[in-house]
Amino acid sequence: MTVIGVGRLIVQRQDYENSIERSYQREMGARVQLAEGTNPDAARATINREEANRAHLRDSISGDTRDTVILVACGLIAGLLGALLLFVGLITAMRRPLEALVGAAGRLAGGDRSARVEVGGVSEVATLGQAFNEMAAELELEASERDQLDRMKDEFVLTASHELRSPLTSVQGFAELLMMERDSLTPRQVETVEIILDNCRHLVRLLNDLLDLARSDAGRLSIRPQPTRPAPLVEDVVRTMRAQTESSDQTLTLRIDPDLPLVNVEADRIRQILVNLVTNAHEYSPERASIQVSARVADNGVEISVTDNGPGIPPAQLEHIFERFVRGDAGLTQRVGGTGLGLAISKSLVELHGGTITADSVVGRGSHFTVTLPTADPEAVETAPVGTPVIGEGGRR
Amino acid sequence: MTKILVADDSETILLLMRTRLELAGYEVEAAVDGQEVVERIDPNSDDGPDLLLLDAMMPRKSGIDALRELRAAGVETPALIVSAHQTPDDADAPADLEISGYLTKPIDFDALLGAIAELTEKNAA
Repeated sequence: MTVIGVGRLIVQRQDYENSIERSYQREMGARVQLAEGTNPDAARATINREEANRAHLRDSISGDTRDTVILVACGLIAGLLGALLLFVGLITAMRRPLEALVGAAGRLAGGDRSARVEVGGVSEVATLGQAFNEMAAELELEASERDQLDRMKDEFVLTASHELRSPLTSVQGFAELLMMERDSLTPRQVETVEIILDNCRHLVRLLNDLLDLARSDAGRLSIRPQPTRPAPLVEDVVRTMRAQTESSDQTLTLRIDPDLPLVNVEADRIRQILVNLVTNAHEYSPERASIQVSARVADNGVEISVTDNGPGIPPAQLEHIFERFVRGDAGLTQRVGGTGLGLAISKSLVELHGGTITADSVVGRGSHFTVTLPTADPEAVETAPVGTPVIGEGGRR
Repeated sequence: MTKILVADDSETILLLMRTRLELAGYEVEAAVDGQEVVERIDPNSDDGPDLLLLDAMMPRKSGIDALRELRAAGVETPALIVSAHQTPDDADAPADLEISGYLTKPIDFDALLGAIAELTEKNAA
């Protein structure tokens, strides 16, 4: 519109200029006639008419220019308004589906794999919505596949640990048979058999730990808590560990507050956790280190802690200390024979009891592990576990 | 002599058990599955084994199923169940089979021999 207006203006302007030119020519002709005096009246009239004519023409030109400017301005404003309206319309059309998309993405990120959006709106937004839905569907499929894989993994570990036990029983059993005749063996043979037995015990520990973790993952790690006196439990652990710490000239001290309340735990499991903590303190600390086990009443139960003045754990390692297969740097000691699973299992077990386990450490000063166990109902009476006895430790520490 | 019937589907483990138990002075009979255990025991005979040492899981017939049949037939011989599993929970054994104890693999023979001595003496007394 504006362009046409401008074009028309140019054409018209040319016409006007031609007309003015012709008007001048006619006036000049009239002036020549006037000067010659041939027809002065007619010449004068022509001159006046042509002057008026040109004035009129000039007015027309400026009028048209103004109109055109107005026209152009109107066009521009109309265009801007149109664009603005289109923009607002577009935004309105995009906002709802985009908001839905943002919401669904939030749910998806939060773990809701079934989050989907209604596909609609502007075509680009619709495409985006469709792409989102396809991605979410794939994620959902992956999540269900992963769950299935997790179940298969748990089953596999349970079966593998089960199947490995029979050959391990034979290896360990026959090695023990050999050791029964150690008098007829050479020192070198005795040493060899001892190595076999050591490694059998390590394998059994690994199998037990893996089994515990697989059970824990599958939600099948179960405990039978009983109201239990904490003091004898802790004393028993210290007694069990004494021989090992003394072999490294480490001092193992025990401090138990009097009048500890009963805790609601499965004694064997807590013993397993505490033995693990003291074993760690023993294995990671140098000779002549001191290890203290203490038990005291805390706000939320009974707190049992194992403190050593060993090399300590660097902060970066401490952060991951309860993850599986995370092991401290053995450093100067060569005794470390753990599986890297002990603390991960301890954490699972303590949490299964409704308790907590924490670790803090200062490099060069030592480490401090604290287990907090829930107290038993004050009315509860300590009971001995009943049932068919389990004979032997089954390789359990 | 105290007679022990041992059942396990692994011949190596049977050999191990037989050796250790014979060294400790017991007479040992071996069976490779629960079916053989059931066939070997005559509920009406007094000459049966003094103790059963059964693997919980065996092909054809498990130690648990064999014991169930024997108990139903009135056999009261004390029984120890050996399981590759860690706890009785996993062995899936019902409480009414009068099982005298569970052992897990690998077998702690000192504990096993102690338990056998206790059970057979108690029975003999």
